[in-house]
Order: sequence, then structure tokens, then C-alpha cells
Amino acid sequence: MGEWTWRAFKIVQSIVERLPRPWAYALAVVAARIAWWFSPLARPRLEYNLKVACPELTEAELKRLSRLNFRNHAKAYADLMMLPHTRVGELRPLLHVKGLEYLEQAREIGKGVMVVSCHMGSYEVVAAIWSATLAPVTFFAEELEPRALYEWYRDTRARLGISVLPLDLAGLRKVTQALRDNEMVITAIDRDITGTGRTMPFFGKPAPIPMGPAAMAIRMGTPLFPVCVYRLPDDSYMVEGSPLVVADPAADEKAEERRITLELVRNIEGFIRAHPDQWHVPHRIWDGGP
Amino acid sequence: MKVGLVSPYDFASPGGVTDHVRYLSGQLREMGHSTRIFAPSSRKQVDYEGFHRIGSPISIPVNDSVARISLSFHLANQVAAIVEQGAFDVLHFHEPLMPALPITMLRMSRTANVGTFHAFAKSNVGYYYGRPLLQPYLDRLHRGIAVSEPARDFFNRYFPGFSLRVIPNGVDTTVYRPGLSPIRHLRDDNVNILFVGRLEKRKGLGYLLRGYEFMRQRVANARLIIVGDGPLRGQAESFIARHRLPDVVMAGYVPDTVLPRYYDSADIFCAPATGGESFGIVLLEAMACGLPVVATEVPGYMSVLEPGHDSLTVRPKAWAELGAALVILARDAELRARMGAAGYEKAQRYSWGAVASQVVEVYEEARRAAVAGSLEEMHVHDAV
Repeated sequence: MGEWTWRAFKIVQSIVERLPRPWAYALAVVAARIAWWFSPLARPRLEYNLKVACPELTEAELKRLSRLNFRNHAKAYADLMMLPHTRVGELRPLLHVKGLEYLEQAREIGKGVMVVSCHMGSYEVVAAIWSATLAPVTFFAEELEPRALYEWYRDTRARLGISVLPLDLAGLRKVTQALRDNEMVITAIDRDITGTGRTMPFFGKPAPIPMGPAAMAIRMGTPLFPVCVYRLPDDSYMVEGSPLVVADPAADEKAEERRITLELVRNIEGFIRAHPDQWHVPHRIWDGGP
Repeated sequence: MKVGLVSPYDFASPGGVTDHVRYLSGQLREMGHSTRIFAPSSRKQVDYEGFHRIGSPISIPVNDSVARISLSFHLANQVAAIVEQGAFDVLHFHEPLMPALPITMLRMSRTANVGTFHAFAKSNVGYYYGRPLLQPYLDRLHRGIAVSEPARDFFNRYFPGFSLRVIPNGVDTTVYRPGLSPIRHLRDDNVNILFVGRLEKRKGLGYLLRGYEFMRQRVANARLIIVGDGPLRGQAESFIARHRLPDVVMAGYVPDTVLPRYYDSADIFCAPATGGESFGIVLLEAMACGLPVVATEVPGYMSVLEPGHDSLTVRPKAWAELGAALVILARDAELRARMGAAGYEKAQRYSWGAVASQVVEVYEEARRAAVAGSLEEMHVHDAV
């Protein structure tokens, strides 16, 4: 995001945060429609990604899906923009959780929980509700540009008790500390942002996938918890987790890293195929895409 | 014992008196008493055990702050029904002479009445001119409590004959304690200075910002974390931008569940209020989390602090002194640890368990006084 885009974002954000939730969503729906019509790159990229994820879709279905995806993405942005003023305690009833027992299992192991997710649904607001009402959460994510945007993101999340650590060595050290304190660290593996990922099959096509979570699982014994977040038709939020992925300390490190990452990718693929309208990736994932 | 707690302030927005009522109610319930809370609320649905909403509040500027109270005197019927049907053993009024809820309820109450006075200010025009009107209401109170000596002295300046027992505010030492998970990106080589409070004039944030500027020229590795929201937020932000103050985090309003983690992410707590503080509950919270305190010498704070032992204190509005005190603490980790430990020990004496049992003692006294009072009334009646 450039300097001017950031300024525009901040102006829109300061308006949206003062609106009641239904109004903000109404505005988001209108903005989504405009963006869907006029975005030069985002829509082709998203449609390309969706077509890879769901090859059986016809042209008309794909169009409908991408329109719905834009709409949900805009609502997720509205959620994010409202976050500085949101009274998160009041949103607690809107959060539904499936697979909480896996989290309990992971907690019992006592080596922290690494939640591995993808860019899906209103993960910002869900993490905020979780952090402010249930347990501390740490985000392990890229540093955004410009700096002012990153700081806004970080402070907005921090208000609700979310620690935001950058994908660098200092960040990694703190993530290790958080896991040692048996806390929850959230990261996403559907996009390789740092450019250090290994090529793996993702929906049957080679794509760079971050190996960090698998490496952590092997070195620290931390269980990995594949999770996805999506919006229900009544605009409440669902968090769905699948069984834990645990590293085998006896296995060969390289092979194990690969096995774990493949396992995670398989889970993430399942989530995306179940809710393709909520996988918000108007970005380039596979080589050869627009 | 069946206790009714009455507060004049908006129950849905955070504040010292509201928190006091919540904690006291929780602690009394734990001790086996049954409680109900009566207060106005700006939100219809407030999910709190035993809360009963009476009226909605409006904002009124008083004491350099904004009080959100209900001013409707049409509540009388509702209040009368509650007093009648509630059959309370004790009605505990917070700020009993405040319109409209406490004073209306006090007038109708036929049971033992206890009043807690929280406020402290330079002067109170309402008390001064309203004395003849308020005195009959005050006579209905069987026992009175003040949250601190300054609050007591302030009240006795206007009503010298009425004796008040000082029972301090409490702090929930199970919630505010060291060792919670910090906000991790705030934990680095920087010394974190924490401010917690509504961003309004009397909290003195402006002086802290100047003090921080003074300090940053001497200590490079420092960060200021400002927790709270309020009317002065825009001004504070523009001051930070104009003076290019580095490493200032405006956290905004932080939910209660997260606030203790902010204390645990800080190294120094700073309370620069310029006056009008009767107690300073934030100081206790900070001390309970083991933080050394830099505060201004306002009466409310001084009733909690022991300068040199658990805190460094400076004159109100003296921002250079404030900055110097911050420099001293920021440069000396050992001093911070020693003061933090002293503060932690002191905070344990203010736990809600200890406070609530003192309050229950006052309830018992009030009940005895109420019975004696009603007997007296009967004798007079018989004589007539």
C-alpha cells in the first residue's frame, strides 16, 4: 500500500469506525461491488486462484463466487476498520467455535499452540474477540508498508491484547517465548510473503509454501492446529479447527518437515474448498497467474 | 444479608465508582450475601449478575470531568416499588447526595442506609449552597464511609457534624498481578512508561507528554504507552506529531480483560493528575502488578503512596520534575525493582476481601442504628 492509499484508508476508516455495524456492512457491500467492476488486477487474480482451487466451476459460477468473495472481503475490511472502537465483549456471542477439544489437547501438551490458518474470513476480529475474552493471542505476520499502516495495525490489535510480531529473528525469539509460556501463536501459510518458502503442491500446482510452522513443530515439539475462520449468513463468525498435527521427534528432520507441511496444506485446501467465497487472496500465489 | 447497592453513574461506561460497585457486589456475593445493583445505564442490555437498570444517563461536566448520571425525577414510582418489594436489610448508596437516583431512593428507603462518599475536589458548589436542602437527606443515612482521608475531609468541610469511616477502595489482586502474558511487541529493550486514565484535563496527560519529551532527550530507550480515551485525544495526538515524540503508543480504550496485561508490559507507572482525585485506584492496580509509580502530589494519591518507598512524587503540573523522576527510574533498574516490590506488598493490604469485610462491619452497625432509630420513633408516637 502506498502513502496515499494509506491516507485514503485512514479517512475511510475514521468514518466507518463511527458507523453502526449494519451501516458499515452496507457501505462495504456497495464498495465491494464497485471494486469488483473496476479493479484492474485484484479480480482476475482472485478468479485465477479460485479456479485453481475449484476447477469444476463454470464461468458463471466463478463470476458469482468472486462477487461473493469481494463482498465478504469488504465486510472483513469493515470489521477491521471498526476494530478501534469495537466493544469486543459485546461481540463474544457472535463467535462460534468448532473443534475446541483439539485446542484443549494442545494445551495439555504444554508447549504452546501454533494455529496455522489461511487468509480467510474476518480473522482479525475473531482473533480480537478470542484475545480479549478468552486467552492471549500472538500474530506472527509480515510487516506492512508504509510504516504508519503497520503501526496502526499493531496498535489496533494490541488494544485488544494481541501481540504482533514481525517475521524476523527478533520476532521469532519472542514467538518461541510465547510458545514456551504455553500461549497461542497464529500464522498463515497460504501465501509466502518473505519469499523463503519451499515449493510444494497446493491444489495440485507447485506454489511456494512457508516451512516455518513445520520447523517450529519439529524443534520445539509444538502441536500445530489447522484452523479456518468464516462468516455465517447472519454475520456471526465461525472458527473451525481440525485435528492437531504433531511432529514425530524420531523421524528424519527434512522428511518430517515436508510431511507436516503437506499435511497442513491438505487441511487448508479442505477449508478453502468448503468456503471458497471467503478465501480472500487477490494476490499471485502460483507462477503463471495474472 | 440482603444488600442493595445504588450508584448514580452510568453502569455501562467504565469509571471508578462503577468498578467499585461491581467489585464490592462480587465480593459480597462470595461472602454469602445477596446483592442487587441499581444504576442508570446508557445501554439497555447490561450482562451483569444482579444489575437492575433505572433510567438512562446524560453527560454533565463536573470537576473537570464528565459525570454520566440520570437526572430524571420521574423515577419515583419505579424506585418506590423497588424499595417496597426488595425488602433489603441494607441499602448502600454511592455518592448518596447525587441526583437523581441515590437521593430519590434515599428519601424512600425504610431500611438501614449506608452512604459511601467517593468524590474529592477543590470545592463543591452543590454541597455549599445545597446544605440546608441536603441535610435532611443526610440525616437518613445511618452510617457513612469515605474512600480516603481527602474524600472525608472534603465532605466534612461542608457537613462537619457527620462522621465518616475511611474504608479504602480495593484492588482485585487475583486479576492485577505480576506474571501475566505481556503484549509481546512492547517488551523489548525500551523502558515502558504506562499512563492509564480518561484523556481529560485533570488527568494531566499534557504534563506527562512534556515530561516524556524532557526525558527522551536524556534516556533514548524509552516508550510511552497511553491507555484510555477521552476528549483530549486529538490534542494529545497533535502534540505528539508536532513535537515529533518518538515511541509513543496511543492504545485507546483497552477492555478490562486486557488491561492487567498492559500493566505487566510496563516498567514504570505514571499518574500525573493535577487534582480532583480522591483515591487513585489506578495506582493500586499498578502496584498490585509490581510497578514503581511516578505520581503527582495530589491529596488522593498521597493517601495511597509512600514517596521514596514505592514511588517518586512530584508537584502537580511540574513537568520538568516529572521528566526528571522518570529519568531516575528509567536509568535504575534496581530501584525500579525495589519500589515495585514495596508497592506489590502494599497492594495486598487493599484486596477486595479485606475491604468488603470492613464494609460488612459498617452494615451491621447501620442495621443496629436503624433498629434503635425506629424504636425511638415508636416511643415518640406512643407518647403522642
